[in-house]
Amino acid sequence: MIGRIAAIAGNTVREAVRSKVLYGLVFFALVMIAAGVVLAALSYVERERILQDIGLASIRLFGAAIALFVGVGLIHKEVDRRTIFTILSKPVSRGEFLIGKYAGLVLTLWLQVAIMAAGFVAISLMAGAPLTWGHAQAIGLAAVELALLVAVATLFSSFTTPMLASLFGAGFYLAGHLTRDLRDLGAQSGAPFVEQTTAWVHRVLPDLESFNLTIEAVHGLPVAASDVWLPVLYAAGYSAALLALAVLVFERRDLR
Amino acid sequence: MERAGDEIVRVRDVTKDFRPGLGLRRKRILHGISFSVRRGEIFGFVGPNGAGKTTTLKLLMGLIHATSGEAEILGHRVQESAYRRHVGFLPENPYFYDFLTGREILSFYAKLSGVSRADRAKRVAELLERVSLTHAADARLRTYSKGMLQRVGIAQALVHDPQVVFLDEPMSGLDPIGRKEIRDLILELHADGKTVFMNTHILSDVEMVCDRVAIIAEGRIRYEGPTEDFLGADRQVSDVVVTGIAPELIERFEQEYGAQVGGRGDHIELRVPEKHVSDLARAALGAGAELRSVTPHRVSLESIFLSAVEGGTGTPEPGERAQGQEGVS
Repeated sequence: MIGRIAAIAGNTVREAVRSKVLYGLVFFALVMIAAGVVLAALSYVERERILQDIGLASIRLFGAAIALFVGVGLIHKEVDRRTIFTILSKPVSRGEFLIGKYAGLVLTLWLQVAIMAAGFVAISLMAGAPLTWGHAQAIGLAAVELALLVAVATLFSSFTTPMLASLFGAGFYLAGHLTRDLRDLGAQSGAPFVEQTTAWVHRVLPDLESFNLTIEAVHGLPVAASDVWLPVLYAAGYSAALLALAVLVFERRDLR
Repeated sequence: MERAGDEIVRVRDVTKDFRPGLGLRRKRILHGISFSVRRGEIFGFVGPNGAGKTTTLKLLMGLIHATSGEAEILGHRVQESAYRRHVGFLPENPYFYDFLTGREILSFYAKLSGVSRADRAKRVAELLERVSLTHAADARLRTYSKGMLQRVGIAQALVHDPQVVFLDEPMSGLDPIGRKEIRDLILELHADGKTVFMNTHILSDVEMVCDRVAIIAEGRIRYEGPTEDFLGADRQVSDVVVTGIAPELIERFEQEYGAQVGGRGDHIELRVPEKHVSDLARAALGAGAELRSVTPHRVSLESIFLSAVEGGTGTPEPGERAQGQEGVS
């Protein structure tokens, strides 16, 4: 089973490596990181922090864009182009196929994050900005968030078109970043119904802000170990649940 | 007596409904079809476009699910995946990852099929040789012609040396040389003891390679049995034109010889199987009729097929001449 999943994942990475589109996106992300130098130069204060703020934000946003952009077509493209037919005629279950595709895209994204992180480090060194363990933690958690986002995109990709999956995925991403604020607002409303509803929404939707350590990294604030490993566990559990649901949906689908 | 163990593919009362669009209304594509494929035979699954051939094959490959009924391959339910290490499949107009080379894609499929690392490179090289693609082994698939892709499709179906091979329109879109190559390959598989299930609408291919056939039309099986019985019976026919024949005698010829009656006015045209021509002529002359002409000809495969699809007798109407065209698409 592991061999078959690895073969599908490896092939997914190879497809990305040979695709010009993703190189374009990574290049654009590196340009954005470098553009932080120009924006920071416009400020009189905290130039290094602005530079790194833009750099980390670029990694997170471009990573999310690529995760959703590629993830929503992950399964649909295979069915639409009928490349899946010959694969599933081999001793490969639909679950193995889906997990393999997921793992391949996550590995691809992590490779891209590594390239963007290298760009971030290079720009920081050139600008004389400090680099700490906190930056590594922030980039690491951004990568973990991407794994969760790919699971979201994979779920939607398993049963709907890329267009709808993009809308659902983008909505999920935005809601995931707002859910904590929504819960806090609900708590302040004083209305029990609103308070319970917003708390419930916060519990159901992924709290993507828990993967954002940009402020801590840029300002050199201390980060508790639990602020790192809890989000990692959370992402692992949430992704596993989403993928299990995706497999369940995909198993029942007619691939016409 | 046929033993259950000889049935490689077993389909029993399978129905399949699809829901077109978003509506609640269902459309039935397969109406309780049943057939079986025996070990070591080349089985032709024949039908016009839209008859349900590809739907049946997708169902057998576990790509779609039956609404009701049972389908088994090698004694396993088709929804299982492990047994597929003994099954090869070539879809119609196959699509592959075109960013890979011929060698890479076969190696990928070999990995998925559980071919060991030690055997993989050798097996891939053998198959490339077998489908005459060694010269293009390291070129990306996006540079391949349609015929080359079809050969990659055949190679991937055989990469793990399966017991049974399913081919969906394997000669589709190929030139005569390509068709002959694929046909020879199918016969080689047969000689190697493999079971071959072939979806096709090209009847000359059926006649040349298939041991048994099932005819499907409008989602129903119209015939299942030996190819010889389907295509061979009464294939040589003659049109006998007579004058001055009594109506009772015509009726007798219809009943006794299966004569099909046509013609105009006094000239009656009787189409009968070749073996009955002498008897019919003798009887007609003996009853005072005049024999005007006897024209032997061969019933086209197309006519036989169309008759079977329409539930007819397998011979065309008198006056209709045999055609060279044997496809029915």
